Amino acid sequence: MSHAHVKPLEPGIILSIEELSIAFGGIKAVDNLSFQIKEKEIFGLIGPNGAGKTTAFNCITQFYAPNHGSIRFLSKKDETVELTQHKVHEIIGLGLVRTFQNVELIRELSILDNVLIGAHIDYKTGLFNAMLKTKKNRKEEEALKNQAMDVLKFVGIADKALWPVGGQPYGILKKVELARTLMCSPRLIILDEPAAGLNDIETLGLADTIRTIRDEYNCAILLVEHDMRLVMDVCDTICAINFGKFLAKGSPKQIKENKDVQVAYLGTKEDLV
Amino acid sequence: MTMKTLLAKIKAYPYLPYISLGLVLSLIPTLVYFDVLRSSYVTLIGAVMIYTIVALGLNLLLGWSGLISLGTAGFMGLAAYASAYFTVNLKLPFELSVILSIAIPVAISVLVGLISLRIEGLYLAIATLAVSEIFRKTFAEFDFITNGFSGKSAKYPTLLGFFKLDNTMTYLLLVIVMVLIMILIHNLINSHVGRALNAMRGSEAAAQAMGIDLLKYRLVAFALAIALTSVAGILYVHFIKYVEPSKWNLGLSLNILAVIIIGGVRNIMGTFVGAFVVFAVPDLVLKQIPYFGKIANFAYIVNGLTIILVILFYPSGLIRVFTDARIAFNKFIAKTRGKTA
Amino acid sequence: MGSQYYSVGGCEVSTFVQLVTRSLETGSIYALAALGIIIIFRTSSITHFAQGAMAMFNTFVVTILFTKMDMPLWMALIGGIISAVTTGFLVDFLIIRHTKKVSPVAKQIITLGLIMVFVGVIPMMFGVEPLNLPQFFNTGDITFLGAKISYNGLFNISFGLIIMFVLFYILQNTKWGLAIRTTASNEVVARMMGVPTKKVTMAAWAIAAALGVIAGVMNAPTTTVTPNLMDSVQLNALVACVLGGFQTFYGPVLGAYIIAILQNLFAYYFSSTWGTQLLYIFILVFIVLRPHGLIGKKVIKKV
Repeated sequence: MSHAHVKPLEPGIILSIEELSIAFGGIKAVDNLSFQIKEKEIFGLIGPNGAGKTTAFNCITQFYAPNHGSIRFLSKKDETVELTQHKVHEIIGLGLVRTFQNVELIRELSILDNVLIGAHIDYKTGLFNAMLKTKKNRKEEEALKNQAMDVLKFVGIADKALWPVGGQPYGILKKVELARTLMCSPRLIILDEPAAGLNDIETLGLADTIRTIRDEYNCAILLVEHDMRLVMDVCDTICAINFGKFLAKGSPKQIKENKDVQVAYLGTKEDLV
Repeated sequence: MTMKTLLAKIKAYPYLPYISLGLVLSLIPTLVYFDVLRSSYVTLIGAVMIYTIVALGLNLLLGWSGLISLGTAGFMGLAAYASAYFTVNLKLPFELSVILSIAIPVAISVLVGLISLRIEGLYLAIATLAVSEIFRKTFAEFDFITNGFSGKSAKYPTLLGFFKLDNTMTYLLLVIVMVLIMILIHNLINSHVGRALNAMRGSEAAAQAMGIDLLKYRLVAFALAIALTSVAGILYVHFIKYVEPSKWNLGLSLNILAVIIIGGVRNIMGTFVGAFVVFAVPDLVLKQIPYFGKIANFAYIVNGLTIILVILFYPSGLIRVFTDARIAFNKFIAKTRGKTA
Repeated sequence: MGSQYYSVGGCEVSTFVQLVTRSLETGSIYALAALGIIIIFRTSSITHFAQGAMAMFNTFVVTILFTKMDMPLWMALIGGIISAVTTGFLVDFLIIRHTKKVSPVAKQIITLGLIMVFVGVIPMMFGVEPLNLPQFFNTGDITFLGAKISYNGLFNISFGLIIMFVLFYILQNTKWGLAIRTTASNEVVARMMGVPTKKVTMAAWAIAAALGVIAGVMNAPTTTVTPNLMDSVQLNALVACVLGGFQTFYGPVLGAYIIAILQNLFAYYFSSTWGTQLLYIFILVFIVLRPHGLIGKKVIKKV
């Protein structure tokens, strides 16, 4: 499929959002947002409730079509692509994978099967090979199953591989979703509120896991998150938004001391009285 | 290899249930021959196998892929009429007729699949109902092909141009086809394609995020389901040897739905159990019950009640009865062992 | 009085008027059935595939009361409405109430099971001979623009419209109507706000059943009273909901009248045998282009 020519990204940048805007029935959910993510960077996107974080990242992953703006991404093949020119199911093939805040797993399937869904695009054999269980298909299946078990070991739940997803505690489900994203050797993983529903200990463990993923899988991570401790702890760069608009960007220390961010989260002195 | 390991290997063979079922069912003609069973059993069980195949198609569509279709009867009738016409009127060889009688309904089903992308759930169910109605009315009107309300006859299949099958051999053909289909579906469901279909049902968002093209897989689901439905329709007309328009109505589509609900959605053996309960138990059991057996439509009522009761109280289907029984049995054994130890 | 024929563009006005009035009559039948389906859909989140079957069952009750017990027609109809309300209550109380944990697909399948029960029970309770139910007004007609319209037809149309107006009035202007609309909008929140949702659901099933039996009694005189009486009404009522969209109460009613008019027009001007098939194909094409129906609004799924 040939796409309109896309201006290549600067070296070291893997995602560049420019003037991203989307409105729902007159309300601008995301308003002229721009930021860039570097290679192997852990990047946090924060903002109070309703700031437009989830909408922004649904736009990036093409679940919503933005009204305006461009989203350039350095694909796994080292080509710059314009994400808005691609369909939602093509995104993972380019090297961008996401998790879901509401943990979207298939309840009736096992944990292993759910993780294998993450490898769907790696299967080269088709329908007939699958039905007849040809040698080619069996080899593929075995190789990817081994890879899935490795990933499950990495997140620490390999012993539960054959258990059904339905009925598992929330913490395990989040790990399964995380494991699923690692199957495709992504360039960028977007985590949608990964700390939601986790307790303090689990959140600390999550911070470690995020750092280890970045190191071992050589990918960048975009974190859309509420939990400030996790964000401050693990992110290299943070971008804060409010009412869909860009507010501030910088290191965790800079963001913490930024007056606009403080006002957005805590209100002004007048509001507190 | 010792006897123990051989037995263990056989037990673990994934296709064992289907092949065992096939072996058991293939004994029926022999039992009839020795007067252990009445000859009507061959027709009855043969019909159960045909409905199992249709129901497997519906299970693939609704159970695994989550796409609701109430158009089953219409497509099955289409394939049946097509094969009757091709073999009787056009005198085509059986194998060619089979290919055409599968291809035509599948082509139409792809159209329906395309529609399914724009409309969902409920709207889709009603649309497929409308499609089935269009077929049923067309069967009655197109009487130069279908003979209208007089119905159309066909013969037992003739394989490879010369091997004419009779009642028993056609029955055995049914057994072989059913077992083969069970094996193929089993493979499919446990493959990445099966996982993609499950994902499409379980979470469209997750499926898309993982690279599953919903359009493609919806079409695959429809095409496969209708292919199976067509196979069943073809086998029907060449086994029962007669087909007429009024049979392909909502009642039949509902009965097929009942088969998978009662037997267990997403369960291959359960589909056979369901088909047996819906299509054989009425004749074998219900009609023998004094007073109630004589009432017309008694089976229909019982099927309806069974659907409702199964959904409310046994949502995994009656196949769970077998698993639950086995679990209870094992528990019982463990308890008695524990007592004597 | 002689009829005067006017000609407009080659078609006779009188035929056209006759077609339209007959369509309004059929449309009333479809609209009542569709209204029953949409009321249940919006309050219980179930697509009532058995609306036609239950309507047919209660129409049988009316017919038996009229023929075997010699009740006057209007009394038999009241008997039928009582029976309908009772069956509606029973279905809700015995079955629907227990479906909280059931998946949406399974809920529709329950109604499919209900079809089998109601249809199957008819021969058991009422025998197998086809019965007949007469019209409310057997003779008499008026002439309008050269077309003959029977009193019965006028009655059916107005009776249907009156019932619908009354229902819509109740929905928009009374406390009960508000309770129904709130439950229809969001059952959980309504319950938390103190709306008696259990009573609302029961009422919805009873009202739908009553609408069904009225539709059945209007439909019965055009053919014989058999278990298949309401099959086409059921299908057309469902298609009316698809056409009009499931998001509003008035959408399906509008859809119902449109289907009735188109059905008659197609049958007359194109072909009487292929009329219905053409209509469904036409609607299918329309639905592909406008997936949410005439009035339906697109719901954006939040991920």
